[in-house]
Amino acid sequence: MSKLNFSIFRLIKAFWNTSISKELEYRLNLFIEIISVIGNLSGSLFVLSIFYKGGFNLGGWTWSESVVVLAIYTILDGLTTSILQPNLSRIVQQVQDGTLDFVLIKPVNSQIWLSLRVISPWGIPSIISGFLLITYTFIIGKKILSLYSILLFCLTLISSIFILYSLWFIIATTSIWFVRIWNANEVLRSVLVAGRYPISAFPAGLRFVFTFLLPITFLTSVPAEAILGKISLSLIIFSLLFSLALLFLSNKFWNFAISFYTSASS
Amino acid sequence: MPIISARSVSKIYKVSEKAPGLKGTLKHFFERRIRIIKAVEQLNFEISKGEIVGFIGSNGAGKTTTLKMLCGLIHLSSGSIEVAGHNPEQRDRNFLRQITLVMGQKQQLIWDLPPMDSFRLNAAVYGLSDRETKRRINELSTMLELDNELYRPVRKLSLGQRMKAELLASLLHRPTVLFLDEPTLGLDINSQIRVRQFLAEYNYKYGATILLTSHYMGDITSLCKRVLLIHDGKLFYDGLLSDLTNKLSPYRLVKLSLTDSDSAHFVSQFGQLVEYDDHLVKLLIARENLTEVLTTILNQFKVKDIEVTDPPIEQLIGKLLKSGNI
Amino acid sequence: MKLKHLNLAYTLLSTQYALMLEYRAEIFLWAISGILPLIMYGIWSEAGVSIGLGIDSKWLFSYFVSAFIVRQFTAVWVMVSFEEDNLEGRLSPYLLQPIYPFWRYFSSHVAEQITRLPFVLLILTIIFIFNNQLFWFPSPFKVFLSIIAIFIAFTVRFLLHWIFAMICFWNDRASAIERLLLLPYLFLSGLVAPLDTFPEPIKNIALLTPFPYVLSFPAKLLAGHNVDIFNGFLNLILWAFVFFIIGFWAWKKGVRHYSGMGA
Repeated sequence: MSKLNFSIFRLIKAFWNTSISKELEYRLNLFIEIISVIGNLSGSLFVLSIFYKGGFNLGGWTWSESVVVLAIYTILDGLTTSILQPNLSRIVQQVQDGTLDFVLIKPVNSQIWLSLRVISPWGIPSIISGFLLITYTFIIGKKILSLYSILLFCLTLISSIFILYSLWFIIATTSIWFVRIWNANEVLRSVLVAGRYPISAFPAGLRFVFTFLLPITFLTSVPAEAILGKISLSLIIFSLLFSLALLFLSNKFWNFAISFYTSASS
Repeated sequence: MPIISARSVSKIYKVSEKAPGLKGTLKHFFERRIRIIKAVEQLNFEISKGEIVGFIGSNGAGKTTTLKMLCGLIHLSSGSIEVAGHNPEQRDRNFLRQITLVMGQKQQLIWDLPPMDSFRLNAAVYGLSDRETKRRINELSTMLELDNELYRPVRKLSLGQRMKAELLASLLHRPTVLFLDEPTLGLDINSQIRVRQFLAEYNYKYGATILLTSHYMGDITSLCKRVLLIHDGKLFYDGLLSDLTNKLSPYRLVKLSLTDSDSAHFVSQFGQLVEYDDHLVKLLIARENLTEVLTTILNQFKVKDIEVTDPPIEQLIGKLLKSGNI
Repeated sequence: MKLKHLNLAYTLLSTQYALMLEYRAEIFLWAISGILPLIMYGIWSEAGVSIGLGIDSKWLFSYFVSAFIVRQFTAVWVMVSFEEDNLEGRLSPYLLQPIYPFWRYFSSHVAEQITRLPFVLLILTIIFIFNNQLFWFPSPFKVFLSIIAIFIAFTVRFLLHWIFAMICFWNDRASAIERLLLLPYLFLSGLVAPLDTFPEPIKNIALLTPFPYVLSFPAKLLAGHNVDIFNGFLNLILWAFVFFIIGFWAWKKGVRHYSGMGA
């Protein structure tokens, strides 16, 4: 078992090497990505500033607290660009042209393989600028970060990444039945935009949806509350358990889909 | 008056190169090394109306580049081309109405719709009336033996059916100059034969000029009297297919059947041994001293039977295409 | 000659419509993924910043729902399909046909809008069922004007993207540039925040670009808000004209380059 795990990470390293050199062929992209990140951030900050102009606040969050939410959103967006989008869009394609068979006959965990097969360096500017923005708000606010809140932040961020990944993966998995499901991921992405703002800024109905139907709260608001020190320990534990449960569910769902795929396709 | 003429046509490309590995990648990212490649050099040929000409050569010899230059998709670096009285580069509408390009590895039919929809679209693009369109589709589909396939989505068709539909779509406007790039690629032998017969029929019926490339020698030998052989971007041979043998192989194949099995060993020293099996010897003997050598053999050994032939052209060209050497 | 063109337009559109019907499931999902204005409505209606600008919840509702509708019918993806056609070698046969390939893409977009229409109506019905007290009735004349405005707005966006799609002739991954085009559209068009809430200098800068006219203007027209109709149409037509000229020039240049480098 440990040998298998070792080999898959070696494999992924090899995959990432080739995908990075492939991507770096396109120099234009670096330029585009940097401009796009700067533009996106300044645009989002501008919209936020409109809300705060009249001294109002979003759902009880101050300006700098909302900026932290936006920063976390930017980090997750970068991860989506780098890992989720390039890999999970391939699943659909592989089901379509039948190359999924080649993956399934390999002696490695197919979910890990499919989820980490390629990496795109173009999400890195987003990830970096997200972290920079968080650091900046803390320097400006002259707040001191305790090691404890950094730890809590890391825990909640990891659980938010797991949740995000599971949502993407579950939708991508459905492509085994509905080959043209890819746009469902676009739907997911478009709803996740709500994560740019604290969830408590939404009306009660939407708050309910974003907490219980689509757990966007756990993606950005919860990690932000963790680093801002305004969160209860029980919510953190709940968020972790919830993410692990989703991860587990995504795996079960994948195995179920595969058994369907291998028995149904000819 | 030739319908296609190419005069000292050359095409030069610039490509960037990358060393393998991360270091090479990073270096490549910041600084690109450019190399110049001559795809086609000083090509000269003329093709008359109604000819079917085979265009052969190994991969990367410059066949596709030349075809695309003849259609006006690629501009020349130097030289000039005239097709049907037009300079292809101007992509004049009257020129475009007279030609077609079919690429075996690329398709223009709309993947998710039946071929019929693509035909209708093409008919509108070329301004054909409904009645005329129907008539032509009927005619061509009979020639191609297509029937119900026309009403099924393209993605549901077999490769052979798809290629036939592709041909129909490309010939709906009844072009008189056909450029075909590997039209039988990947097809099974029956579909290949069907496509060949169709092309011959189309050529006969409309007096169309056809220039085709193919890796299947069967296509070339059954369709083309004349071939252009291109190698490393240069025209190596232009003439009858039957004469190509002389150029490619200065040898003849001699089959000798001997009464005495011991002498077979000695006989094999007179030429390049191809096969040696007890009483039977196959030798390649240079053309210029064929009679001389044969006389010697007949004088010295007891020969039961003798047969002199050209080595099969398919084998010769096939070998050439594989090795890439001439 | 005229009749032939009409026949060509009809055939192009009907073929593309048949194709789009094959993709109806995707188009439905795509229609849903345009919900950004509705999410923004959620925030705006709760934030209450608007007090003092003469903006109330009814105003916000009609504005963002109209923005949603306008966005549905001004969706443009020509850069992606042009890039795909280029990479997969379909562009060469297109170039050999006696028709400006522009029309293939344009007609496929229009066909997609027709396919999308019932889905948008469905989504709107659901929205109105949940918010019936905020329902508004624009005058038929305004609706008529806004349909025209939406179509011109779509044309302007299409032409703008067409210009950038031409970069595919030089760089085979040019559709990444689409992300850059999306930025000013997102923040300056009024999609996430009505222009009325912008600080004056930024609003003035935005009005110098085509973006407010392709979203905010038709949306306000449809919402029945006060808007300078003449100025809006003038700007739309002006921008369409400018982009048309540039687009045609870029196409010529692109084809020449494409033929120079090898198809």
